[in-house]
Amino acid sequence: MDFEPNDDFERELHQALQRRPAPPGLKLRLMERRRSQRPLQLSVVWQRLAASLVVAGAVAGGFAWRNREELRRAENARQQVMIALRITGHALNKMNAQLAAHNRSAQQ
Amino acid sequence: MAHDWQPDFEQLVDEHQSMVFSLAWRMTGDRGLAEEIAQDVFLELDRHLGKIESAVHARFWLRRVTMSRSADALRRRKVRGIDLWVEMEDRHCVQGASGSSPLGTRVEQLLGTLPEPQRAALVLRYQEDLTPEEIAATLGTPLATVKSHLQRGLKLLRAKAQSNLREFVRVKEQVSGL
Repeated sequence: MDFEPNDDFERELHQALQRRPAPPGLKLRLMERRRSQRPLQLSVVWQRLAASLVVAGAVAGGFAWRNREELRRAENARQQVMIALRITGHALNKMNAQLAAHNRSAQQ
Repeated sequence: MAHDWQPDFEQLVDEHQSMVFSLAWRMTGDRGLAEEIAQDVFLELDRHLGKIESAVHARFWLRRVTMSRSADALRRRKVRGIDLWVEMEDRHCVQGASGSSPLGTRVEQLLGTLPEPQRAALVLRYQEDLTPEEIAATLGTPLATVKSHLQRGLKLLRAKAQSNLREFVRVKEQVSGL
């Protein structure tokens, strides 16, 4: 892109504003900063990954515990129903036997 | 968006460190701060390298971010009440670029006394040879505003040069006397 100054002043300004060379060692210092930031960035990534795994593990563990707890409660309830049925059956058998004995004595 | 250009960070630094540093220095007037800004800008480029699509895009991106970071730095300094260019003139005694005349050096110093938007427009115009349209795109400013900043900045700089620079007048007289 060519610059066309309109007069001496603009030419002088253009001349004065030539790019300055970067300070010696700028690139070296920059690359050192870049290197020192890289492991930090990697460690941050690993930390985030580890934190994500911990959270995922906790959530999965929570779901598993809740599932097992529900199964345990269901099994307890089933056993209680079975006990109730056994008691009821036993009571009905007893009452049946009594009714049968009563019928026999009534016929005699 | 697919693009074939493969950016090489070190090559970009080699190519553009002078541009980035010069922009930051002329905007802030502080050599140390300019180097800090230049490093920050390049580290930011490193983080965004995947989004850079071409060499032209890289140069545009570097100019835009450098101007933005320099403006941020100036605002932070203003809050602390430090006039950078006065500080630079008083303490560090600006040295002209190799080959630049004393008048050129003085003009460069006077540029630092202009309001920031005018200085930004003039630096991009006369250092980077950008057109007003390109300056508008770089600064994210309307074209009419950029043109106004260029005209007013140049006028102000001329006025400052004519009223304050005895050397300028002397050189002009010498030139006109030839």
